[in-house]
Amino acid sequence: MKTFALPDLGEGLAEAEIVAWHVAEGDHVVADQPLVSVETEKAVVEVPSPQAGRIARLFGKPGDRVLVGAPLAAYEEGVHADTGTVVGELSAASPTPSPRTRQGVASPIVKATPVVRALAREHGVDLAQVTPSGTGGTVTQEDVLRAAKALPGAGGGEPLKGVRRAMALNMARAHAAVVPASLFDEADVEGWWTQGADVTLRLARAIAAGVTASPALNCWFDALRMERRVHAQIDLGVAVDSEEGLIVPVLRNVGHRDTGELRRELDRLKAMVRNRSVPLESLRGATITLSNFGTMAGQYAALIVLPPQVAILGAGRISPRNFQGNSGVGFRHVLPLSLTFDHRVVTGGEAARFLRAAAEDLQRPA
Amino acid sequence: MAELKMVQSINLALARAMEEDARVLVLGEDVGVDGGVFRATEGLLGRFGADRVLDTPLAEAAIAGLSVGLAAQGFRPVAEIQFTGFIYPTIDQLANHASRLRTRTRGRLTCPMVLRSPAGGGIRAVEHHSESPEAMLAQIPGLRVVIPSSPLKAYGLLLAAIRDPDPVVFLEPTRLYRAFMEETPDDGAALPLDSCFIQREGSHVTLVAWGAMLRDALGAADLLAQEGTEAEVIDVATLKPLDEATILESVAKTGRCVIAHEAPLTAGFGAEIAARLAGRGLTSLLAPVERVTGYDTVMPLPRLEAAYLPGQDEIAAAARRTMSYK
Amino acid sequence: MTVRFEIGFTRYLAPNGKLVPGLPPFAADAKTIIPLYEAMVRARVFDAKAVALWRTGRLGTFASSLGQEAVAVGAASAMQETDVLLPSFREHGAQLWRGVTPVELLLYWGGDERGSDFKGPRQDFPVCVPVASHVPHAVGVALACKLRRERRAALCILGDGATSKGDVAEALNIAGVWRLPVVFVINNNQWAISVPVSRQTAAETLAQKGIAAGIPSLQVDGNDVVAVRMAVAGALERARTGGGASLIEAITYRLADHTTADDASRYRDDADVSPHWLEEPLIRVRTFLTEAGLWSKKDEEHLLQETTAEIEAAATAYLGIPTQNVSTIFDYTFEKLPEDLVTQRQHALGRRVQSAAPPAVQS
Repeated sequence: MKTFALPDLGEGLAEAEIVAWHVAEGDHVVADQPLVSVETEKAVVEVPSPQAGRIARLFGKPGDRVLVGAPLAAYEEGVHADTGTVVGELSAASPTPSPRTRQGVASPIVKATPVVRALAREHGVDLAQVTPSGTGGTVTQEDVLRAAKALPGAGGGEPLKGVRRAMALNMARAHAAVVPASLFDEADVEGWWTQGADVTLRLARAIAAGVTASPALNCWFDALRMERRVHAQIDLGVAVDSEEGLIVPVLRNVGHRDTGELRRELDRLKAMVRNRSVPLESLRGATITLSNFGTMAGQYAALIVLPPQVAILGAGRISPRNFQGNSGVGFRHVLPLSLTFDHRVVTGGEAARFLRAAAEDLQRPA
Repeated sequence: MAELKMVQSINLALARAMEEDARVLVLGEDVGVDGGVFRATEGLLGRFGADRVLDTPLAEAAIAGLSVGLAAQGFRPVAEIQFTGFIYPTIDQLANHASRLRTRTRGRLTCPMVLRSPAGGGIRAVEHHSESPEAMLAQIPGLRVVIPSSPLKAYGLLLAAIRDPDPVVFLEPTRLYRAFMEETPDDGAALPLDSCFIQREGSHVTLVAWGAMLRDALGAADLLAQEGTEAEVIDVATLKPLDEATILESVAKTGRCVIAHEAPLTAGFGAEIAARLAGRGLTSLLAPVERVTGYDTVMPLPRLEAAYLPGQDEIAAAARRTMSYK
Repeated sequence: MTVRFEIGFTRYLAPNGKLVPGLPPFAADAKTIIPLYEAMVRARVFDAKAVALWRTGRLGTFASSLGQEAVAVGAASAMQETDVLLPSFREHGAQLWRGVTPVELLLYWGGDERGSDFKGPRQDFPVCVPVASHVPHAVGVALACKLRRERRAALCILGDGATSKGDVAEALNIAGVWRLPVVFVINNNQWAISVPVSRQTAAETLAQKGIAAGIPSLQVDGNDVVAVRMAVAGALERARTGGGASLIEAITYRLADHTTADDASRYRDDADVSPHWLEEPLIRVRTFLTEAGLWSKKDEEHLLQETTAEIEAAATAYLGIPTQNVSTIFDYTFEKLPEDLVTQRQHALGRRVQSAAPPAVQS
């Protein structure tokens, strides 16, 4: 920066007071252009710029006293940037986005006017399935109406909500992820079974026995992280059929609570399901699930494993059969067992050991 | 009450406006002594004097500019531009000043001026006398563009334009000046601006037009009626601000629309209407919107003029296409 | 028939503050001359403040009138209150004299339409950006005065570049042939951005373009506020009393760049500019006043301090004014908002509004 000092103003003065600046920092000035008015004894005089240039700095403000020889203004050196305009501001170039390459051929949109589309929606007709008869391959109203007539049960559908909707979504997700395998067996329950026996609780105990023998079935699997977490505690999801659909409340810690307590808990949960008042926490966190579908109908079933669980035990209808058991041949009541497990996580051996232990427990008279 | 041609009804409206409001002035080239080259201002000088009817030098930009000055000072100047071929120099004053004086001064100064000019072809005139610049003008914010389609419309719309507190460009279809007559009562009744008019009701197809093309649209409607197609005919009248509601309601009923204008196709005002239909009117449309327009060329000289100008046959054909579209 | 023409040139105050013979009496009258000087100083201080605000990103592009204060102040001071001013964009001194406030000027150049809603001179026209397009407006205003038979005139100030435009020829012509009460003042600062007047026209003077329109036309030293005031006052009085139009070319020099975004050193040498500082309008008046015993050091100091304080206060006030509501983009388009614009206004109000900060600082 080139600095310009307050020149000798004559009158034998050593200093002068700044009255007003006539230029500002950044201004371009020419030689002889007044920079500032200063007050001397006799007058207010203008101090002209000694040179042309751009003011980088001004020293002092109005009211300040400046000594002769002290810096008054400093000039920039070097070339000033060109604004490239006389009005407004042109912003600096920003990188242009690179052109996107074509992403491959998408299937062309079916040609139909908006009115026709609305009609198709209304009738549940998929335009892509309709043969177009209009100019240039356009689907016409007649085409849509024709297609609608051909649809079975054409009419309004019932949208799924609540529990049913959740089931549809969850089962689809499970199906997409789990690799299921099933193992079937039977347990001879003649030793303890009577009409009013508490089958569910015996099944819960059997599952506990199975988990003891084969802890791998009581775990959660995180497919994304490829991690499994084997649980010490058994929180048993118990499938309950309700008006709304399938609900699975969770019986906590079945491995270490006594039967009476578990029975009371289960009854409470079932009542809440009936009243539609089961809280959300009671539906979460099952480590393994039991479906006692046999109370209604059916013997064996390949049930759906619900991630992050890895196993589900199904119990079919207890029926008397001509059974060759340990205690000999004869009509004995038999409980069919179906174990479906996620073969990504559980081996056949683990599953078999579980099932054997569960069946053995069920065969004990008490 | 008299049967008047459009040029006469314009004359009537001007006289009426000048009678009612001392602030109304008429100015332009040859408007005074000669009564205007089309006689639109006939008799006004004699009746109102040289302080109210001014023969200007040949200076379109200045005519528009001094109208701005007059209007800002509280007069209501009605400036005539002899032909729309000469309207282009006024666009500077219209776009840069007349249309924005109110907003740029926050309402302190306003510009209640009218610029009127004979527009459109079909009069077998020399070059540059057949222009249709309405779309160009319609895009200017703050400016109204009004086009009458009949003597009665011209009377009522011109009165409305003169009384309006903001600038209006009033494009008078030259070929309608003497084409037909209509009962036009001198009752001082203005027609509403910013409003379309339904000239004919129908439920099969909507024909939208303005100015001289309206007669062609009505002619097309008659042709279509003979075939059992009932067309609804809309006269837009005020292009800007556009009364889209009337057009949308009509197309909601008919599902089909043909827009007709003399001006060239691309970026013509029909494109604006078509865009509105494709927007808020999309789900009503049973067929693509048709535009029947001039070509994207200069209007040919008189020998070929008829090959350029669209007419009722073209409009009817377009309507039939919409009817048969599947 | 041979027709000759003559363009007179008038000056009373030379650059050194010395008088030329024939000084009009008002020039010696402190009550008249001192306000002219004060107004020129005010214009200059305002101008410098505007440039400073632009430089710190708090004002938009600004057209400085540095060195041209005498044309603006001299011309405007000759107007009566009921006359109408139509400036171009470099007559801040004229607008300030007419009662436009510094805050209003800052609002305009800062990008707020309220700056053109003058609370003072209600009929004056706002700044005109499209060069020369306001000159026909002046003719319209003058016509209005004449039709109403009022003792009023229009004063239109335009630049040297403007005189090349068709609008000016048309307007001068109509003003002449209709004998309208309008005075055209050419603020000839000798530069139209980068084009010097010698490359703007082959005419020896700009004033003679008025001769072509049949209008009395003359030249004055535009840096001599006395000469400008004299000439314009005479022309306005003639106009108001039915004498018709006049054209006055006031010769000055653009000491600043065309605008704050322009860099004049690209097309003119700094060395060519420097001598013009010696002819600038404020110094010669001050010298004259001081030597006439009408102005003292204390007066000068006092004026500078007071004016600086006033302009600083105006800048502070301007910076504190919040941006208008987004709806004002629409509200003044027509007297009554049509449907379309009501919808568009709603849309605009629903958008996330950009920060109302003034333009960013330039690099």
